[in-house]
Amino acid sequence: MSFFRITLMRSGIGLTKRTQGVLKALGLRHRMTTVFYPVTSEVAGQIMKVKELIDVQEVDKPLTRAELKAERRPEPGFYLEKPAPR
Amino acid sequence: MFGAFRPTNSLGGGLLWKIPWRLSKFQKARQRKRLRAVDTVVATLDKALAKQSITTKAVERWKEEMPIEQEMVPKDKYTIFDRKEKKYRKSIRKLPKWTRVSQRVNPPGY
Repeated sequence: MSFFRITLMRSGIGLTKRTQGVLKALGLRHRMTTVFYPVTSEVAGQIMKVKELIDVQEVDKPLTRAELKAERRPEPGFYLEKPAPR
Repeated sequence: MFGAFRPTNSLGGGLLWKIPWRLSKFQKARQRKRLRAVDTVVATLDKALAKQSITTKAVERWKEEMPIEQEMVPKDKYTIFDRKEKKYRKSIRKLPKWTRVSQRVNPPGY
């Protein structure tokens, strides 16, 4: 089961209510929001309605919110040898 | 009429907010990049759906009617048809939301 990884690259401000409705239905709240949907013809039709605003990739498994945040987190640059005594 | 600006003589003279007819080479480059981005979105959709052997009317119609960026003539990328203009073409910048809307095809012969 493959998924679409959809990221909103351009906002829907000033666009028609229909287009903004499609973004709301997809759950794309603000720029750089990423959502995952299974590959179906319904979702494909929704993507076609807003294709100028989004970036789409095909992935194997959907990531959770925590995993998406972890993707963006940089390397800490240190590691803990021993926790501080409390 | 002028939004947040006071309608003064200098503003109403029509000389303050001129925008050039032609796009600069950087604007043209960005327009081509945007067209290619939409092409890749449609290609990704097409590939993903083909893997599951389903078709969508929207995708099929787009592939049939709309040219991809490589197939387009520069005239179609940077200008649009307008019946009121002298040569029936005007700058694509004059199309509202032109960076977020797909405009690729114009009436044949113009």
